[in-house]
Amino acid sequence: MSSAIPFSFARQLILRDLHTRYTGSFGGLFWAVLQPVLQLVIFAFVFVQVFKAKIPGADAPGYLAFLAVALWPWTAFSDAILNATRAIEDNASLIGKVALPRATLVFARVCASFAVHLLGFVVIVLALSFHDDHVRIVRGLLPALALYVPLFTLALGLALAMAALQVFVRDLVQLLGQLLPLLLYCAPVFYDRAIVPVAIRPWLSLNPFTFYAEAFHALVLGHGTVAWTSLVAALTLAAGMLLAGFWLFRRLDRHFEDFL
Amino acid sequence: MSEVLVRATGLGKSYPKAFRSSDRLRALGRLLFSRRPIDGMTVLADVDLQVRRGESLGLIGANGAGKSTLLKLITGVLTPTTGSVSVHGEIGALLELGAGFHLEHTGRDNIAMTAALYGLAGAALREKLPQIIEFADIGRYIDEPVKHYSSGMVVRLGFAIIAVLRPDLLITDEVLAVGDEAFQKKCIRWMQDYLDGGGTLILVSHSMYHVQKLCQRACWLRDGRVEMLGDVFDVTQAYLAFQERKSDTSTEPALGTRGHDVEFSVIRASINGHDADTPLLLEQGTSLLVRMQVRSRDGRVPVLMVGIVRADGTPVYGVGSDMDGYRPRALGNGEFAAEVVFDHPLLLPGSYSVRVHPLDPEGVRLFDTWERSITVRGASRELGIVHLPHHWRDPDEAA
Repeated sequence: MSSAIPFSFARQLILRDLHTRYTGSFGGLFWAVLQPVLQLVIFAFVFVQVFKAKIPGADAPGYLAFLAVALWPWTAFSDAILNATRAIEDNASLIGKVALPRATLVFARVCASFAVHLLGFVVIVLALSFHDDHVRIVRGLLPALALYVPLFTLALGLALAMAALQVFVRDLVQLLGQLLPLLLYCAPVFYDRAIVPVAIRPWLSLNPFTFYAEAFHALVLGHGTVAWTSLVAALTLAAGMLLAGFWLFRRLDRHFEDFL
Repeated sequence: MSEVLVRATGLGKSYPKAFRSSDRLRALGRLLFSRRPIDGMTVLADVDLQVRRGESLGLIGANGAGKSTLLKLITGVLTPTTGSVSVHGEIGALLELGAGFHLEHTGRDNIAMTAALYGLAGAALREKLPQIIEFADIGRYIDEPVKHYSSGMVVRLGFAIIAVLRPDLLITDEVLAVGDEAFQKKCIRWMQDYLDGGGTLILVSHSMYHVQKLCQRACWLRDGRVEMLGDVFDVTQAYLAFQERKSDTSTEPALGTRGHDVEFSVIRASINGHDADTPLLLEQGTSLLVRMQVRSRDGRVPVLMVGIVRADGTPVYGVGSDMDGYRPRALGNGEFAAEVVFDHPLLLPGSYSVRVHPLDPEGVRLFDTWERSITVRGASRELGIVHLPHHWRDPDEAA
């Protein structure tokens, strides 16, 4: 099989995945833009109007911007993992009949999730910039997009491992559906680390998503700082996870057909 | 000799037992942490096979003999448990129905997806797309989801993609059985053209007609092992004979074991001088000489009957000495002997049994049976049991 095949195949798969997400709806791109804006309006109502949520500090950004810039990357991350975990299982009929680069199935799902939510991220950052002058477009949005690279790498590594294990342990995806929100609530996405009791604060760093939440806050809103050491740790973790995920996938790949 | 496209050595496959989730977990642990193979059910063992460029191989065998598993191993869908298989060149495979189509998507989408797996996309695909749609010939269904297709249409589409992409090696599993008559003909014509153009084919079919028409060699798989591998005519005939013997339902008791106390019994008999218990192998058209010796308890002259039946018990021909007005020669002691010669019998290749029976002088009651199987070998592709003399001519000479 020539090396170009996984790419043309991945392209087809991504297009198909995106098509399926918006299938039956008129104007797919319209929805892809409208959906995050609507969600933002709902958050504004619930958290700002009803709960009167605020981030402590004199020059702190509005709660809505604070929540949104970290929650959208999280959605991409969690959606990618949950979707891709089923990638092998869902394509059982294809795997049983055609020899194909199976890792591409996982890769395509992660790509599709990130593509959708990355677009959403750009839309909400642009929308928020009209509302909150903490939002930095030029100095914030572009570096923030670069931050998606290690996030994507981490998600891909996890997704490869989970998709391979899912073939053998069918309840894994249900378990992930419970565990991922736990990871979300243990990261400073809905709250600032500053309001967490001092004794617990350092423990938050153990959550891999804490770095991303705080880095997005720092880059897009100029809120808080991120230590170089945590950047290095995050990059190492992302690369290590990708290698480990790929290793596990390769190890189990050859036996998928037997257990599907 | 041309290059070897497929080489399988000691190829074997066993499926793990994975019905319960605890089995799956154990298998996962085994795969991750130990090198020991998982125990399971062996469906294929010790297959050695070579297919060279330009060859065509038919895979035959009963259901569950391992044909599809072998194809899946060759295409790389399955990983061998033992041995290895290597393939040089691009494979186009139609395994079971559909070639991995996604049911929710349209035919057109599925063409794009399958083509992408062959590295065909963009402009190259747009160029080929009309040809594929034309070959599939399923009309407006091309823009309908595949779930609305009939099984014939799925195969049409799958075959059309392969036909237009022309891979080095074509692997098809029972594809011809699904399409309608017209499409079958189209496929066969295409396959013949593909083979003439140097293509390589591995075909699974239960139709010996298709196998003989398209393949030079055949491989008979039985219970996961290669029973026979060789020239297509030898293998298909042996396979058919085996099938016929299996389905032989005639439950006549072996009369030959009766003692001499019956009124008439066969003492000995032979075919072309061969009287051992083993089947006799004859080339097509070889004359048959059946020699028989019978004992008559009370010295009356028996009627001798000789019959030829197909291995599944279908009668081919039977004749009695009384019908031809022949009286067996008396040897004294109540023994009689006779020979009957079938000059160049018209039997087509296959397995048959020759039976000899003594009857009472009235030719009514049958007393004993002697039976030997013979196998007629030949490369004839004629269908049926016997060759009927015929000739072809132009219709205008008919007057």
